[in-house]
Amino acid sequence: MSARQATTPRKLTDLLDASFMARLDALDVLSRKMLQGKLRGERRAKRRGQSVEFADHRPYVVGDDLRFVDWNIYGRLDQLFLKLFLEELDLSLHVMVDVSGSTDWGEPNKSLAMRKLAAAIAYVGLVSNSRVTLTAFADGIVAQAPSMRGRRHARQMGEFLLAAEPEGASHFEKACRQFETGRGGSGVVVVISDFFFKEGYDAGLRRLMSDRYDLYAVQMLTPQETAPDLSGDLVLVDVEDGDGAEVTVSSALMTYYKRNLAAYCNELKSFCTRRGAAYILTSSAEATEQLVLNTLRRYGLLR
Amino acid sequence: MEWLYWQTGLAAAAVAIPLLVLMYFLKLRRIEVPVSSTLLWKRAVQDLQVNAPFQRLRRNLLLLLQLLCLILILAALAGPILFLRADKGKRYVILIDRSASMAATDVEPTRLDDARRQARELVAALRSPSLFGVGDEGDMAMVIAFDDKAKVMCNFTADKHMLEVAIDSIEPGDGASSLTEAMAVARAYAQSPGEANNDRPAVERAQLELFSDGRIGDAGEITISAGEVLFHRIGESGGNVGVVAMQARRSLERREEVNVFATVANYGDLPATRQVQLSLDGSVLRVEQVQVLARTVGGAGEDDKPGRSAVSFTVTHPAGGVVEVRVLGTDPLASDDAAWAVLSPPKKLSVLLVTRGNLALERALKACSPGRFDLAAPEAFDAMDHDAMAVEGTYDVIVLDRHGPAKLPRGRFLVLGEVPAALGMTAAGELTGQTMVDWRARHPVLQHVNLGNVYVAKAARLDPPRDAVVLAEFAESPAIVLLNRKGSTYLVTGFDVLQSNWPFEVSFVMFCVNATRFLGLELAEEAEAGLKVHQAIEVRTGSADREGQVRPPGRDPVKVNPDPSGTLRFPQTDRVGLYAVEVPDRRAEMFAVNLLDERESDIRPHEEVVFSGQAVQAASQVAGKANRDVWPYLAALAIALVCLEWFVYNSKLRL
Repeated sequence: MSARQATTPRKLTDLLDASFMARLDALDVLSRKMLQGKLRGERRAKRRGQSVEFADHRPYVVGDDLRFVDWNIYGRLDQLFLKLFLEELDLSLHVMVDVSGSTDWGEPNKSLAMRKLAAAIAYVGLVSNSRVTLTAFADGIVAQAPSMRGRRHARQMGEFLLAAEPEGASHFEKACRQFETGRGGSGVVVVISDFFFKEGYDAGLRRLMSDRYDLYAVQMLTPQETAPDLSGDLVLVDVEDGDGAEVTVSSALMTYYKRNLAAYCNELKSFCTRRGAAYILTSSAEATEQLVLNTLRRYGLLR
Repeated sequence: MEWLYWQTGLAAAAVAIPLLVLMYFLKLRRIEVPVSSTLLWKRAVQDLQVNAPFQRLRRNLLLLLQLLCLILILAALAGPILFLRADKGKRYVILIDRSASMAATDVEPTRLDDARRQARELVAALRSPSLFGVGDEGDMAMVIAFDDKAKVMCNFTADKHMLEVAIDSIEPGDGASSLTEAMAVARAYAQSPGEANNDRPAVERAQLELFSDGRIGDAGEITISAGEVLFHRIGESGGNVGVVAMQARRSLERREEVNVFATVANYGDLPATRQVQLSLDGSVLRVEQVQVLARTVGGAGEDDKPGRSAVSFTVTHPAGGVVEVRVLGTDPLASDDAAWAVLSPPKKLSVLLVTRGNLALERALKACSPGRFDLAAPEAFDAMDHDAMAVEGTYDVIVLDRHGPAKLPRGRFLVLGEVPAALGMTAAGELTGQTMVDWRARHPVLQHVNLGNVYVAKAARLDPPRDAVVLAEFAESPAIVLLNRKGSTYLVTGFDVLQSNWPFEVSFVMFCVNATRFLGLELAEEAEAGLKVHQAIEVRTGSADREGQVRPPGRDPVKVNPDPSGTLRFPQTDRVGLYAVEVPDRRAEMFAVNLLDERESDIRPHEEVVFSGQAVQAASQVAGKANRDVWPYLAALAIALVCLEWFVYNSKLRL
């Protein structure tokens, strides 16, 4: 398929060009929740720990590290108090990219747009020293690039995304279950998908809507999905599972389709917002720069 | 709007429309289009089906267009026509008048052209046999052109091209209109094939379509059934001035003087002043101004009378020639604007008397002042070269007195006494003491001849053949008989005049004068000069192998072969004018064919033709307005719809 070859990215700069990367360098990943990191990092955690950020005092008990005794208070009150500091931990950023067959469709190609977006977000994560885990899912998790940190992992991140060819059926719930049971730890989760799952998205999303995760659901649609350019008597073949639907495209059918699509997206949005997740609807035609630099910053994922 | 083959259309519709819808539902060729997910589509289709069960059928523009297109094609197949006049498989006889009055130019270019045009329209409107209809047949038509003779241009056929060619090949004529022969021919052809075929009842007659100006002389003598004839009136106005009578004859007293009489008639509503021109052999001699009154409108049941004016000219012309009288000026009908007469040079009779001596007869013949009078004994006559005599026409009249030779030359004979055996009326006995009991006093031979006092002592009993004309009779036998045999004329008197008291009667001299003049064709001279249209030209050549040539006016010369008796006959005198007959070794003879027909000169078209007891009104609608096919328009619309459907299909237009 020559069209597909034309849209297949071959190197990292196909996903992110240099000037865009330069602009991404200035960004940082944010979490709306105080999440538990694993290593020391730049994010404040709820946990008391070692940092410059003062949190509280508490009476000394035997065994406490004497280094944290507040000697000024001891001088005034003649009692031992310990200075407590907020722990600063790193942030885990999980980017889940849908690589099921249904994403390899549309003009501009949906999968490519998804991977570009994932690359941009992951790159921001890497340069801001977050722990970035990339997950490609279709019928379950098909590949994972866990715990990358630092700019040096950009190449690895790029190779992972370039290798993630869209293929096969999708099973979102299965993918989420596998993700949850993996040792990913808490963090920001960005799910990039079209959310056209025949078995439904709610069971899967519900697994990601816990305190451990700050969930961003990015629904990527193509212009051909929002306004199909079809007419006549057709058999619509699902590229994912080959399922056929005989339709006679009339203006009434188009109205119903658009109404259904809007209802589907609204349902997803309300599902997410009710449970404290962010929902972002975008189009594959929208420039990744625009999406990352404006939309995601507005939603608070990046700063 | 009517449907010719509605059963065919209905049958095809019953098959085709359900088939189209079925094929639409089966939809053998649905185009496969990949989509990212059929999830939402299936939901949309479900929603749609819940809300509109028949939406697929109702809202599909392509199917709608296809159905519409199919319906149009089916409708075209059912043969819709406007102004239906024909029933199934009718037969038409197209009668086209080509008489003199149809040459009138009140309709551009001529009435005949208009008639041909209308006839062509009728032909074009004939129903063609259906392509798909089984067992039905198209209309058939035949074409007959008529003036006073009928000519079948084309027999019954459904081939429109053939009919049109036949209609176009009708040439104008100058004859009078007479429908009797045309009707007889039409009915003979139109006679139904009968019940034998079982496909048409014998009573069904062909429809006669008469294209004429309605001036038909003998319409009153023709009986028609109701609705048999449809009359299409051709022509718009009258107003013709023409020569309706003309005669040129030499004065009896002075033979070199020629008196020309002509009558000019005006059929218009206004008085006319015209110049009448007399020419002799093409050079104009006189021009005279003539005032002709307008026509007077006749009362109820009477015909209108034209205004007439007589013209007479007297010219001195000792030689032969052609006299033409022409009315100058333009009017719708040209063929009656001139009339011609052929003058023969003044001629004295040459008479040969074959006798053994008959003083009374000799004196009586001499009293006729013949130009030449010869006397011959029977033996001398028999020794003459008879063939040369016939060809050269040495003697106009040969009188055989008591001499019946076995062989006679061609010529004109007055036979007295013994009857030649060649005549086939040999005396079957002898009669005595006879008196004339009856004679035809009006015959030119017996004009002013009183046979009441004639007593015949001895006469032969004549047994004339059927075609002989008996001029006078005894109580028991014909006495004087006129007989034509092989181009010769015999006036036979069945008794020897010396055996009667006739030579002592005045009537004997009168008879001799009449007989020699009659036989010498002096009396026929004028008749010969004025031929009517379709009257045959006859010229004696004297030999059966002398081919002659006739030059009709305005046409190429026609070769004519003489009949076995050596007479050239040329019957195709269908146009007026001068006909020249050229025979080798002889001077060309001129014959004038004139219209001189008041009925044809009166060119006012009639609104109705009155047949015997039944008037047929002119059809109100133009012939061509019948049977206007609609299917080509439907087919064109169907093609347009197909194009529209293609456009809709390609532009992905949605309803």
